[in-house]
Amino acid sequence: MALRRLLLREMRRMKRQSLYGFCMVAAPLFCLFFFTSLMRDGLPEQLPIGIVDEDHSSVSRSIARNLNSFSQLEVERQYPGVHEARKAMQRGEIYGFYLLPEGLAREAVGGRRPTVSFYMNYSYLIVGSLLYRDMRTMSELASASVGLQSLLARGATEQQAMALLQPIVIETHPIHNPWLNYAVYLCNMLIPGVFGLLITMMTVYAVGGEIKDGTAREWLKTGQRSISLSLLGKLLPHTLVYFLVGFLIDFYLYVWLHYPCHGGWGGMLLNTMLFILACQGLGVVMIAVVPALRLALSWASLWGVVAFSISGFSFPLMAMHPTLQAVAQLFPLRHYFLIYVNHALNGNAPVYVWPNYLALLAFALLPLCFLSRLKRELIYMRYVQ
Amino acid sequence: MRRPDLKIRTALHDMLYVWWEETKLSVRDQGMLIFFYLFPLVYPLLYAFIYNEETVHEVPAVALDESCSAESREFLRRVDGTSVVRFVAHAADMEEARRVLREQGAYGIVRVPSSFASDLARGRQTRVFLYCDMSGLLYYKSLLMAATDVSLEMNADIRIAAARNSNEEQDRTTAAPIAYRDVALFNPTAGFAAFLIPAVLALIMQQILLLGVGLSAGTARETNRFRDFIPLTRHHRSVLPLVFGKALCYFLITLAASAYVLCVVPLLFRLNRLGEPSDLLFFVVPYLLACIFFSMTCSVFVKRRENCMPVFVFSSLPLLFISGISWPSTAIPEGWRWISWLFPSTFGINGFVRISSMGAGLGDVSAEFRALWIQTGVYFLTACAVYRRQIFLARFHMRRRHQLLRSRLMLRARKK
Repeated sequence: MALRRLLLREMRRMKRQSLYGFCMVAAPLFCLFFFTSLMRDGLPEQLPIGIVDEDHSSVSRSIARNLNSFSQLEVERQYPGVHEARKAMQRGEIYGFYLLPEGLAREAVGGRRPTVSFYMNYSYLIVGSLLYRDMRTMSELASASVGLQSLLARGATEQQAMALLQPIVIETHPIHNPWLNYAVYLCNMLIPGVFGLLITMMTVYAVGGEIKDGTAREWLKTGQRSISLSLLGKLLPHTLVYFLVGFLIDFYLYVWLHYPCHGGWGGMLLNTMLFILACQGLGVVMIAVVPALRLALSWASLWGVVAFSISGFSFPLMAMHPTLQAVAQLFPLRHYFLIYVNHALNGNAPVYVWPNYLALLAFALLPLCFLSRLKRELIYMRYVQ
Repeated sequence: MRRPDLKIRTALHDMLYVWWEETKLSVRDQGMLIFFYLFPLVYPLLYAFIYNEETVHEVPAVALDESCSAESREFLRRVDGTSVVRFVAHAADMEEARRVLREQGAYGIVRVPSSFASDLARGRQTRVFLYCDMSGLLYYKSLLMAATDVSLEMNADIRIAAARNSNEEQDRTTAAPIAYRDVALFNPTAGFAAFLIPAVLALIMQQILLLGVGLSAGTARETNRFRDFIPLTRHHRSVLPLVFGKALCYFLITLAASAYVLCVVPLLFRLNRLGEPSDLLFFVVPYLLACIFFSMTCSVFVKRRENCMPVFVFSSLPLLFISGISWPSTAIPEGWRWISWLFPSTFGINGFVRISSMGAGLGDVSAEFRALWIQTGVYFLTACAVYRRQIFLARFHMRRRHQLLRSRLMLRARKK
């Protein structure tokens, strides 16, 4: 009976403030739509680059033509010199350029080994890496085509010539993300990251709001002075809403958009649900430790934003300082990430990441250790401004 | 009728009063204190610590040698010898290699097939297979680069051996008729920090303004009568002194913060600082102004102090991605690009990165520079408009209350 009163009370609170609807439903779904549509191509295509052709020969022209045939590159225009191309880069017109020096054709045929150069800009790391790959392949091809012609001229078959030009070929098999799709790589973590950030903040907000508004005692009274019952009544409606949003996210990513999920999307659903509970648990702990709403919210926002960096999906945790590797365990997103990699990308059995499942569960249960402290703060409300 | 010079003097006085009140509030209010002063001070340092290493070394991988020949051992030895890859195990078959991948946290498998040595001996093209874990793109990049480098090296050696040249010069030509070199401009080590940090620093300036100004607005609503945005004092009566006074306060605070965030922090990080400091200053002024008026416009919608925090913190991530630093702007769908032009951060991030990391001059970022001034103008007008309305609302509430009290008094008098 008390639980029903608590649930009704919480639902009234959620209805009264539009912030709840915005942060719990609208914002996560917006992110889902935003990130997936922003990167709908998977890989950025037609990146503008420049060419500095100082040679003006048939060889240099064929290299320029071949560069354009890469779907990821788009030769924006020719520049008379390196200086102009560099300026264009600073103006943001092109991401890189290819330099074909004077005398290229003559020296190549004469066996004097000319050098071509490609310039890329790692201030845009993703773009720079893609350019590097394509421009390097192009350079290899250019070199090979000159070599091929001279070998063919000497009477070798094309197969023999290729074997001599490139005896060893590297064949890559990216495991389970075969198209090297950046959207898959980024969206899979950015969306849960934002979701987790919002869950933690809104949990802090929901509990801390009671302290701030001075309604904490009335809340406890509705819950028959039992802190665990009151918390349950408060957070249960939130949890249900989050589960629904989490379900929509997973459904959209793995069923609608067919993002790779080799262990079945039911497993990801479980991961998402555990993650939601972990974030809620973390939020309760934050407000219990720091019972001033704005401070707890600052803490939650810092935690949520740092999680993106420290979870190790953009820059690997392995390369970070050992202290940070330990600290990273305190972020639910890190555990979510490892489970996601194990389950969705690699399709392995959950047993390989059981500590991470346990960690998420521990986050969800952590508030139990802080119940008496939270109750004290709720009753005495020492931090009301 | 008041004299015009007196009017100006009152306006100036009002402006300074508003400025002083707001500055006092920014130090007294814990939330504003955190976001205006503490956050810009500490947050960049935290990022410095996280991305300290910049690049990935010694990615653990598994070697799978099915050829068991001198050539295959040579290949694997050379891959192991690079600074980016380290073999943690040598597997006997694919099953074992996959198991090591799962259990020991390796990130890739380099498999040399059984036909490797015989293919090479017969002059046939052969393949080396690379299996990469895709949990981190940097792992993939490192593994691919190491394997490609080694294969190119060995290819050249094989060609030289086959050509039986008479001198070294011929050897080099055989190795590659056209040589090439790659030049990484502006971020020579291709470091992660040099890529991400400048963009984050520029974004931070807008976000602390949104949060700080939003908190100030929330505080105002909670302390003022009738939960109004504008307090009822004689200094808060006209729009321009009010808007200018607040903007001045925010501008001075964030100018100091940006000197630290945009100049001192890159120094601590040892990031590229190719730009002229004067260019940077000239660029930062419209960026800050655009952010300030943008924040002031947004702040009207903040009804409670803390409400602005989840909303503005959440916006950081979409804003970072829509700016075109991580995901190239040429690949961003048209509709999103238009939306991105609403936010000062889009132009601020691009301009700052180009000036600071790429050494562009003010002329090279003229498009961004102009856009920021336009935003400053537009958001100034919207800020004035919303403030005007809020002043009107505050007066309206006061007058209604006044009428209510008066009618009550009259009622009571009549009863007597």
